[in-house]
Amino acid sequence: MDLITKERDRLLQRTARVYGLSFTLVALLCIVLPGAVGGTALVISLPLFLVLGVAQFRIGISRSPVWLALALVMGLAIIVVACTVGPRPSQAGFTAVVELAAASLASLGLVLTSNGPRIAALIITFLVVGATLLLLTSDLQAPLRTAGVYVLGWVLPTLIAIWISAGVPQVAKRIASIGRAHRAERQASELEAQRRQGARLLHDTVLATLTLLAHSGVGVTPEALREQAGDDAKLLRQLRLGTTPTPNGDAVGTATSPIQVIDEPVLGTTLESVKQRFGRMGLQVSWHGTGQVLLPSNHLDAFLLALAECLENVRRHSGVTEAHVTITEDSKMVRAMVTDAGVGFDISDIDEAKLGFTESVVARLRDVGGNARLFSAPGSGTTVVLEVPRGDASNGEAGA
Amino acid sequence: MTFSAPEENTLGVVVGNARRAVGKTARRLGRASAHRASLGTAFLGLGAAILVGLRAVYGASWFIGLWGRGVYPQPLAALSAWIVLGAVIVGAIVTSRVIGDRLPDWMFGLFLTGLLVAVALDVIAVWELHDIGRDATAALAAGMTLLIVVTVRGSSEILIAAGVLGVGLAVVIFLDTPPSDQITGDWIAPQITAVAAAVLPAVIGVAIVEGFRRMVQVELDRVLVQSTVSAPRYAVGMLASEELARLDLAAEELLESIAGKKTALPLAPKMASIAASLATELRLHLIEGRRETWLYHAVSESEMLGKAVTLVDKSSLAGLLDPIQRDGLLAAAWLLVGDTITSNASRTVTVQVGPVAPGETPVPEHKILVPITITTTGVARNRVDPSIWDALGRVGHYSDHTQDSSLRVDIECLVDNPADL
Repeated sequence: MDLITKERDRLLQRTARVYGLSFTLVALLCIVLPGAVGGTALVISLPLFLVLGVAQFRIGISRSPVWLALALVMGLAIIVVACTVGPRPSQAGFTAVVELAAASLASLGLVLTSNGPRIAALIITFLVVGATLLLLTSDLQAPLRTAGVYVLGWVLPTLIAIWISAGVPQVAKRIASIGRAHRAERQASELEAQRRQGARLLHDTVLATLTLLAHSGVGVTPEALREQAGDDAKLLRQLRLGTTPTPNGDAVGTATSPIQVIDEPVLGTTLESVKQRFGRMGLQVSWHGTGQVLLPSNHLDAFLLALAECLENVRRHSGVTEAHVTITEDSKMVRAMVTDAGVGFDISDIDEAKLGFTESVVARLRDVGGNARLFSAPGSGTTVVLEVPRGDASNGEAGA
Repeated sequence: MTFSAPEENTLGVVVGNARRAVGKTARRLGRASAHRASLGTAFLGLGAAILVGLRAVYGASWFIGLWGRGVYPQPLAALSAWIVLGAVIVGAIVTSRVIGDRLPDWMFGLFLTGLLVAVALDVIAVWELHDIGRDATAALAAGMTLLIVVTVRGSSEILIAAGVLGVGLAVVIFLDTPPSDQITGDWIAPQITAVAAAVLPAVIGVAIVEGFRRMVQVELDRVLVQSTVSAPRYAVGMLASEELARLDLAAEELLESIAGKKTALPLAPKMASIAASLATELRLHLIEGRRETWLYHAVSESEMLGKAVTLVDKSSLAGLLDPIQRDGLLAAAWLLVGDTITSNASRTVTVQVGPVAPGETPVPEHKILVPITITTTGVARNRVDPSIWDALGRVGHYSDHTQDSSLRVDIECLVDNPADL
């Protein structure tokens, strides 16, 4: 069954509970008035009222027809007892009986409209209770008037149930359209997040600058830092406006840099931008080896990120202002060896202390089938070897 | 461009502090859906207006009957009571239809004043008869008139108004008792039914509208969460891109203010620490591992599931389920949690996905078996909705037991082996 149908039934059940219990209480108040019904009838009715109340309370929770039947039987029993046991009921007793038949039991109409069998049960209940009421009270009030009140009392809750049931599909339709909109929104948000997360190279330079700033920009000339900050802000602005820019050493025309349109960008130019960036921050990077290497853009990304990360580590931790990068290539791999003559460190520390290295360098390279190796000892500098597959047509994706 | 610090930290989201993520997401979605909870109540309001109209016609016909028989000691008071009540009803129906949303306070005040005047005039008209329960007409119809505004004002306000009216009528009836020899059960009964007729319609109306709003809320919550069923294996969730965009913007503004020399270098310690936290947050947002499965997002984004469901999915295996299995699992969780009519907080559901134990049961090629265990507290085996078994059947082969007098379901869920894709 539809979940909203279930919710609707639950709503109707709870309404029936409030409706039924309220009028049962009114009937109870009337029947205990002095002289309303005979003493014996009152004594018999009170426990029946209790059971009726329990049944009507359970109708609010349970869909089981048992409680409906129990409420009906109890209600009928009270009517019969009040009218037949002992002296004839007074006007007050008659009021109690009418409240019971035309309002309290009529609350069953709220939960008896949802399907065929229930509607049939509703009609039968309506006829049985009505016939009992009219037969037993014909001498207390003109039957036509009683019948009028009775019919009105049953039509009201039934109409409420029908009205609510009619409102539910409309609401369900509108909720479903909200759901569709939400799904589209979710997909769009996912794509946008992917686009921003995908702009790795950009975020890398931004993060490097932010990290510098976090140290109050100490160790870098304010002019260089300002220039770098301006470049990065420009890139972020482009990202915000919808393109995926790639950082470039060039301060001008970054959005139109040829690096974005060439399938296999030239490593040389891009390496130059890395060198310039670190130069501004006070680390001289010397270049050795191959000048021009072609790499697919995702391999290039990973390679440059790893390289930048290594240089950043050198800049921050080595205590020297110069690093050497040697690029070599063979038919399968492009390698970069980053060396410095700094303080170095104990390799065994790296697992716990430098998780950043594994996360940012090794993981990125492994993503594209590459690898990184680290050599260092305290006092004797550090060497990192980075390698990525060439990824050209012959062996490109095999390495991945 | 000047830089302002981001107004909230998003770190908690990442390090597994799901509760905070849940709270924040639910709050945001909740804010959006609080307004939407009024969905469909306009239709209910129309029904209520029709009922009030019918009730007024019924009461007015009684009034005309009494008038014709010359019962009224103060006929003009009774007539003006009906004129005032009629004006209030027509005015309230038109206004609430036109406004459609919440009725302004002063209008509600005017409405209540109108009702008060109508009740007072009607009581004055029949005072000397000493039988308000039988002779009052407009005063009783006034109680039901509250239904007109039941969808455009708070439930408690309506209940208080109805309560005041009921108590007021009871007091007036008490003050207006006839000589004591006439006070019999037959005199009291109409007074009781009169007060009930004035108060109960509003009470029942409030119950219906409250239930209806709850139904809409639950269904909205469910439909919004349902969209996770079609999400990819890992997703960043609805708010991640918003957060990332916010961080990017904050970084951009900071960098720009530095480039534009609006911020002095070297940075003041406060600005430096802002830059540090921005960098940390940004870094965490960019890590791929931040991505979670659809089930995590479903649980954290839903107000109902978030409160009761604990998810244990260390290897993020839930992402492997296909849409039909996801739909079944979500529906089952929903039925277990949402079946509480009495909102007892003791009902909790824990969904554990995995770990995969290879080789125990033969599985078809290119498939792996992900065991899913649903343990509950406070859910009796015989009390769960029967349609839950159908939902569980869509997830996989299941077996149900009772553990600590609560339901426990073990599901063997066959999914495509990600290694073969």
